[in-house]
Amino acid sequence: MRAVTLRNGIIGLLLSGCLVSAAQARTLDTAYGEVDVTGTPERVVTLYEGALDASLAAGVTPLGAVTTRGGDNVAEYVEAHLGDERPAIMGVVREINIEAVLEQRPDLILAPARLTEEQYQLLSRIAPTVVPPTQPIAPDNWKAEARLYGNALNRQDALEDAISAVDQRAAELASALDAAGVGGTAFVVRWMPGGPMVMSKNLFTAGLVAQVGLTVEDAGLVGERGVHSDILSLENLSQVDGDWLFLATLNEDGQEALASAKQSSAFTRLDVVQREQVVPVNGQLWTSANGPLAALAILDDIEAALLP
Amino acid sequence: MPLSVGNQRTQITLLLTALVAVSLVSLLIGAGSVGPLRALAVLGGSQDSDASFVVWQLRAPRTLIGIIVGMALGVAGALLQAVSRNPLAEPGLLGVSAGAAFAVALTLVMGASAATMRISVAQLGALLGCICVLSVTRVRGLGSDPVRLVLAGAAFSGLLGSLTSLMLLFDQRAADEIRFWVIGSLAGRRLDDVVAMLPSMLVAAVAVVFIARPLAALALGERAASGLGHHPGLIRWLVVACVALLVGAATAIAGPIAFVGLVVPFAARALAGPDIRRTLWFCLPIGPLMVLMADIIARVAVAPSELPIGVLTALCGAPVLVAVVRARRLPTL
Repeated sequence: MRAVTLRNGIIGLLLSGCLVSAAQARTLDTAYGEVDVTGTPERVVTLYEGALDASLAAGVTPLGAVTTRGGDNVAEYVEAHLGDERPAIMGVVREINIEAVLEQRPDLILAPARLTEEQYQLLSRIAPTVVPPTQPIAPDNWKAEARLYGNALNRQDALEDAISAVDQRAAELASALDAAGVGGTAFVVRWMPGGPMVMSKNLFTAGLVAQVGLTVEDAGLVGERGVHSDILSLENLSQVDGDWLFLATLNEDGQEALASAKQSSAFTRLDVVQREQVVPVNGQLWTSANGPLAALAILDDIEAALLP
Repeated sequence: MPLSVGNQRTQITLLLTALVAVSLVSLLIGAGSVGPLRALAVLGGSQDSDASFVVWQLRAPRTLIGIIVGMALGVAGALLQAVSRNPLAEPGLLGVSAGAAFAVALTLVMGASAATMRISVAQLGALLGCICVLSVTRVRGLGSDPVRLVLAGAAFSGLLGSLTSLMLLFDQRAADEIRFWVIGSLAGRRLDDVVAMLPSMLVAAVAVVFIARPLAALALGERAASGLGHHPGLIRWLVVACVALLVGAATAIAGPIAFVGLVVPFAARALAGPDIRRTLWFCLPIGPLMVLMADIIARVAVAPSELPIGVLTALCGAPVLVAVVRARRLPTL
């Protein structure tokens, strides 16, 4: 039964591939070699939050998407960009439900950079699968990935516009903050029940905070290749005592994160807490998502919290 | 060979001295930048506010909790081993801690988080776990084989563990809190938590004083105990209640910490001989010694982060378990 569906799917793809003129074929450089995509894909499945974001920014609502980290649906900030059609859930990014992908009969799959070879082999039998090349962790990685996804979607211009909108908005916010005299050092921290995890200063979010003029630090707690530190001992909380502290948890909203952190006396005695310069943020947006729409939402958060 | 009574006094004194020394070390050493010298200055009355916060607000509560949890788990292990007549009966291995952890996870999913409520819930879970375990020991043919009891306990723990994981899947919001708590840790606890667990500790302590003698009689066999005027069934129930109070409170405050209830009575018996009354006395200093030493290592091993304490007690406990099982003849209790 499944094999039949798969075979029909492949035959269908072959047929449509023949019908669409070869002139529109694009060759993409992916982690698993060159991938040819033809035409303008309409049935898209995204298996990565950054791919969902890029796809929505390009005006394509995917048929399927993975959940945000720690949640059971797409991230909250995405809601505003969804119409009546909601993407079906394809599992979580580390455990993709390949049968669910097959069920959508996609003509393009946008996958995360860390997709394994085995998964790639399976997915690429369903539809052309675009896996961005793995890069060392850097704040601007999302731009290259968004451009690649945009190219796969045949909507390069829309993605370029979205990326330059982010840069422009960041530049405006930077000069507004500069004019208001807001600056200094900042930490981005995910608060776990046992204590804080310091997020790397090389991540997407940290890049945006830096772009508006703050100095993002991680106190040397996160290695070059790490995404975040281990949970810090409460004795070492003073290491995240900068001018600003962006505080997130994965599961709850920022206010709840702040309330749970404030139960710890080691937290409440930090200077940054005493000065009330802790910014509670949504962990789904700040420590899980990426892409141009997420960037705009994060910049909105920064403006609301930091501009008087 | 157990030592003579005079030598045992010396042993107890030595153990108590070691406990005082380790408690002091526990105040002096941590994962942070406050080193032993600064901490010592705080104990001497220095006005260093950062250091005195770390020593009095962070290290002192966990030291105190380590002492209480160590006593509770050590004594609970000795009691459970005496009543099941099985040297491998350990609250962590047999699913008593898993029962408590499951009960707490259940209430967390249902939205509770008050510390006091958690303790009674954990005790209830521990009680149910205890009853399950001991009813397994009554199953014919199983009670006589210590290793099979441990296997049954492992299966029971595994079942409860998977049920706890299932709840994590259904409720992502509570997941972080439960996951942290299921690992076991002494960090971040406050003195309020200690106060909350004191009443059950006191009740259990008084009860242990009363059941120690009948329990020793029970070691001679049920008939002998009845002949001496004790009621084996009643004693068994009282022991179960004590173990539940002790393990429940310890688990509520520190999470499930396995192997303490195995290693501590094992060491205590080696020093005190087979009499449960003397074994219990030896458990009182040895339990805290083990927990505090594990906690100190947990703090410094991966600074600036910390290890879960259960990892270290397991590292130390698993070899003891293997040694006990591999010994040609399991000591009968």
